[in-house]
Amino acid sequence: MGSSTVKPGLALTRRHFTHGVAVTAAVGAVGLPPTPARADSAVSFLGWQGYDDPVAFDDFLKSKGITLNTTYIGNNDEIVAKLRSGGIGQIDIVTPYMGYIPLLVKLDLIQEIDVSRVPNLEQVMPIFRNDPNIVVDGKLYGVPFTWGGGPMVYDPAVFATPPAAWKDLLKPEFTGKVGMMDDPLGNMMIGALVATGTATPTRINAAQLEQTIDFLIEMKKQSRVVAASWGDLSDAIARGDVAITFNGWETMVKFCADKGKEVKYTYPAERTHAWLDNYCIAKDAPNLDAAYELCNRVISVEAQKRLAEQALQAIVNSDAVAALPEDIRSLYPYDEIADYGKKASFFGFPPTEPEDDLTTFSDWLKAYERFKAA
Amino acid sequence: MHGKSHYWLVAPSAAIFCALFIAPVAFFVVLSFWRVEYFELSTEPTLANYRDVFAGYWHVMGFTVLLATSTALLTTLLGFTFSFLARFRAGTWAQLLLFIVMITLFGGYLMKIYAWKTILGNEGVLNSALIAAGIISGPITSLLYSPQAVVVTLMHFSLPFAVLPIYASMRGIADSEVEAARDLGAGRWPILSTVIVPRCQSGIVAAFSFVFLMVAGDYVTPLLVGGKLTMIGNLIAPQFGAQFNWPLGAAMSIVMLAAAVVVIYLFRLLIALWSRQ
Repeated sequence: MGSSTVKPGLALTRRHFTHGVAVTAAVGAVGLPPTPARADSAVSFLGWQGYDDPVAFDDFLKSKGITLNTTYIGNNDEIVAKLRSGGIGQIDIVTPYMGYIPLLVKLDLIQEIDVSRVPNLEQVMPIFRNDPNIVVDGKLYGVPFTWGGGPMVYDPAVFATPPAAWKDLLKPEFTGKVGMMDDPLGNMMIGALVATGTATPTRINAAQLEQTIDFLIEMKKQSRVVAASWGDLSDAIARGDVAITFNGWETMVKFCADKGKEVKYTYPAERTHAWLDNYCIAKDAPNLDAAYELCNRVISVEAQKRLAEQALQAIVNSDAVAALPEDIRSLYPYDEIADYGKKASFFGFPPTEPEDDLTTFSDWLKAYERFKAA
Repeated sequence: MHGKSHYWLVAPSAAIFCALFIAPVAFFVVLSFWRVEYFELSTEPTLANYRDVFAGYWHVMGFTVLLATSTALLTTLLGFTFSFLARFRAGTWAQLLLFIVMITLFGGYLMKIYAWKTILGNEGVLNSALIAAGIISGPITSLLYSPQAVVVTLMHFSLPFAVLPIYASMRGIADSEVEAARDLGAGRWPILSTVIVPRCQSGIVAAFSFVFLMVAGDYVTPLLVGGKLTMIGNLIAPQFGAQFNWPLGAAMSIVMLAAAVVVIYLFRLLIALWSRQ
């Protein structure tokens, strides 16, 4: 999931791993360099665990004579780090979230997508294909293939009508019933929207950052748990330990349903964050033709259905959405996708270097420690 | 063998110790004086990380030391009691008791954590049983997601590591020593405090140290059953991942290591003073 610095994990990961184990494993894995290509069509893939599955689950790779050498990441920063430390000329595909793409372009680490070589882009819904984060100077740099948002998830048996706004969660009737997720970027984006009233929560000054953290600390006092993963937060709500969440993920509806608990979600008045993950082609990718095959494949109807049905991820191909079974399709607001921007936004990334009086991503991470330690 | 030649016998283990312990710690010490600015490592020596640790994290560190000390004391006490029963009271059942302790090691760390989540939750085994028995009308919400949930879970996990060294020490106490004390008129408490505890000093200190170090460095248990609780491990781990601030993580680790040495030294002193009485 893109908006998080540390990816909360795919459905498979979220449901079966603890945060600690998953992160440890991921960090361990990324300590190793990508396996060098052994054949002309041996594609080096650097991305989230599970993001290789939609292109690898059937005989597509075999039919194209492609083998996939995967290295899994623990956070988006590792894509930058790997490409900058010898990955150029070795790595073919990376899967950053949309906020990282302008930075990757600025650092000259990824290459423009030749849309004529990705015909399936025609089937991708415009809200994703035209996202301003992935189009830099009029050129497309990523093939978006999965997305999601951070809604408020609630137990309708406890709260028949959910609160209209995030800030309502601070009211006494919610004390001890709120569950938070340890998602630094997601929490801070929602916090900035609520606490400062800004329209662009990733472009805030130091005073606004303080306000944001103060608000999050207030929300933490109101909460019963700051969960390590979406699976744990779903567990907490399914077991009745919490009844409503600050930050969330649409797929929690399915996680809870699997545990016999009906939950719903809503997008509060202040809006929330959304994320969009992409297949990008690294600069000087040694297997360019195969990389384009994979970029096109990941947004095909077959691959998208696989992603939606097996990993419960939201998808971008409108034909694939139409082919989904109702219980999977209803997990995400596909029917109102044109209005999605009014509820959730694909915010850009905080500056990575000093820029006017804006706080940088480093400042954000440091500030978030205050929330963690509170 | 005479002279210095016998020192070579420990050379392999000394080399392994240096490579796997001394060298990494030395690297961490050096690293802790460096700095990361905007994801770039600067090797200019600075005390800024230590200043940050004491300015921003002292209360989390203090809480961690307190929680680890409490857990280690309780676990050591429980381990001592269990070992005492196994060694002096259980007779032929001693082996079975030890087997039960050993078998819990095979359960797996995460399984124990999730088991306690199932026991302590609002709709968990304990609350459900108390409600069914009519003792309480609604769930006790403070059982899970609390410091006590962390302590109980970590005690369950670490108890075998307390029992084994203490029991090993107690096996070194001959029955005749206890009988001699009894013949000289000592009651139960004097026998325990002046014979058994002093003879188990090393086992008790080892048990306390094992448990303290495991708890002080743990960050998974507080994440899963601690609710909002943050221990220093929860702040150190991200420095080596998402935060990408190894120098700060190293400084936090070094300070925590120093705190652990102090606590263990004080405990050792306490037990030694007790034994000299």
